[in-house]
Amino acid sequence: MIRQLNIFLICTSIVMLVGVYMLKFSIEGTAAERTQLQIHISEQEDDLTTLKADWAVLNQPAYVEPIVRRHEAELGVSQVQQKQFGSFADLPMRPAKPDSAAMDALFLAIDAGIDPIDAILELEGIE
Amino acid sequence: MTLTADGHVPTISLDGVRKARGNLTQARIRWMILALVLGFGAVGGRLVQLGMVETDTTIEGQTRDAITATRPPILDRNGLEMAVDIRVPSLYAEPRRIIDIEEAVTKLRTVLPDLSEEWLRNRLTGDKGFVWLRRELTPAIEEQVMRLGIPGIDFITESKRFYPAMNEASHVLGSTNVDNQGIAGIERHMDTESIALLQELGLARGNALTPVELSIDMRVQHVMHDQLVDAMTRYQAIAAAGAMIDIYTGEIIALASLPDFNPNDPASALVKDTFNRVTSGIFEPGSIFKTVTLAGALDSGLVRITDDFDARYGVRFGRYTIDDFHGKHRILSLPEVYKYSSNIGTIRIMQAMGKDNYRAFLSRLKFDQRVQFELPEMRVPSVPKEFSEVGAATASFGHGLSVSPLHMLTAYAALVNGGNYIAPTLYKRSVAAAEPLYERVIQPQTSAYMRYLMRLNAISTGGSGSQMNKAAQGYRVGGKTGTAEKVVDGRYSSNKVTNFFASAFPLDNPRYAMVIMVDEPKAENPQSGTTAGWNAGTLTGRVVQRVAPMLGIAPDFEGLLDQQIVPPEVRRIFPEGY
Repeated sequence: MIRQLNIFLICTSIVMLVGVYMLKFSIEGTAAERTQLQIHISEQEDDLTTLKADWAVLNQPAYVEPIVRRHEAELGVSQVQQKQFGSFADLPMRPAKPDSAAMDALFLAIDAGIDPIDAILELEGIE
Repeated sequence: MTLTADGHVPTISLDGVRKARGNLTQARIRWMILALVLGFGAVGGRLVQLGMVETDTTIEGQTRDAITATRPPILDRNGLEMAVDIRVPSLYAEPRRIIDIEEAVTKLRTVLPDLSEEWLRNRLTGDKGFVWLRRELTPAIEEQVMRLGIPGIDFITESKRFYPAMNEASHVLGSTNVDNQGIAGIERHMDTESIALLQELGLARGNALTPVELSIDMRVQHVMHDQLVDAMTRYQAIAAAGAMIDIYTGEIIALASLPDFNPNDPASALVKDTFNRVTSGIFEPGSIFKTVTLAGALDSGLVRITDDFDARYGVRFGRYTIDDFHGKHRILSLPEVYKYSSNIGTIRIMQAMGKDNYRAFLSRLKFDQRVQFELPEMRVPSVPKEFSEVGAATASFGHGLSVSPLHMLTAYAALVNGGNYIAPTLYKRSVAAAEPLYERVIQPQTSAYMRYLMRLNAISTGGSGSQMNKAAQGYRVGGKTGTAEKVVDGRYSSNKVTNFFASAFPLDNPRYAMVIMVDEPKAENPQSGTTAGWNAGTLTGRVVQRVAPMLGIAPDFEGLLDQQIVPPEVRRIFPEGY
């Protein structure tokens, strides 16, 4: 009886031992994988800091201005002047009611084949 | 088989089998105890030995975490990065693991030829566990060194501070040393504040920190820096500096001083003359100080804005006579004294106020103490404790006392913001947060007078600020010129001057104050002069012209806004206002 129990216990311990060893190795595998990932993340973070620094440089006014200056002539841009600013108050108000007489005259003229815009275009030299 | 003590073998065995077995067991137990004692003794000995080992606390021996300690990114008020951390590889060696030192030296020098052979050999010899060879290298060099395959040579990733704006905000930011500790500017201030503690506790290691938001607007900072660089060549000046403040919050919007340095290369900060002239340079402010004198006199109630002052003859003090530069030599009203920058008139105004009252007013504006500010580079101003008659007279037009441009900037902010002194700051601050810190220095009515006088100086004919106003048409800028003669060999020299222009805009509803300084300028062309209006003045105008649209100030040419700020009592002497 005791002998059988012993055999049973020995078998169980062997199975447990093998199980524990397998578990240990699989955990070691996972840990290695985790370390790999951590290194990878850390590398990517390092790259990210460099990219962010690049982005910050590209956004600096000190970086942008020389580019603008270089292309001033081609793009036809220049320093903004005070007179180029306007305000909403400067816009004329909408007329109280449409000038129907003038509109009628315009439509009649177009119907008759005379488009006032043609005269303007001709004057400007636009076909 | 029997066993007895002392190796004495009896011829006859008298012991029974049972007794013999008992003896055997006892002997085994003794051996076992001995083995256990030895085993535990070994373990205990090792523990004692480990306890004796001293840990290396120098930076070279510290763990990876400590040297990758991060600093929070610094952003400007619009969220643009002004300083970021980048991670870079650093080369180190473990001399005790190096097999062939000569081979390692030759191989390393193929990649890093600037390392001295002698130094490298000494460095690699010995039994040390860790020595730095070269810190903060590039990934390309890391690759090359790794390819050499020298045992005992390896890399570690370190945090390095990077300033994408290069020189532009150098004096604001300061710089950090190779261990990523702040050594100047706001970086130093941040360390003394909180980060040092965080790093000590291990909280600031390897994880992202909340960014620090500064009050600087990089766009304005860029324009300011750009214009100062331009001024250095245009006027062949030896130095130039400028700062702009938000008068209600005390936030510094821009602060630049030339010559400057590149914070990415901290060694460049050691070059002579790169100190921050705005905070740690003290100068005789010259005529820009007249604004302060007039404000004090008007606020005391002893002088009214419509009063007349006799500027016909110079003021005599013993052997000396103080006269006007380009004097009018007639009776001047107070606005005229300001406009023509009359020294005589200013002395009379100060005398009407009384020299002791005047001295007290300077203390109220904190001219005799360091400005409360974050930058560690500050100098104590030099203002006499008590004024003599002559001392008070010269001080009234900004001579015989030395203050920093930052003092002038905060004073001007207080003079135009309604009369509240607010200590400047480099951190973002709202008006609501600033209001509890206000200290009233002049009455709102006096502040209104000062706005008028400053604007008057810019648009009235003959005003010393008219040069400035040409460039900044429509932005309602006003200010005061100051041309301070430098002391050369104990005498005031007329060709070596420090020029200032202190201004505020838009004066109908002011928001920003600015001080510009140009040191020892020369005439731009034969038609121009060397007084402040020609250089510091026009420079101010150009800066305002460029930054006003960024700050949301619309130009106005109607003149109606200018008329609104004319005090009614002035209309009695100048019906048209200007």
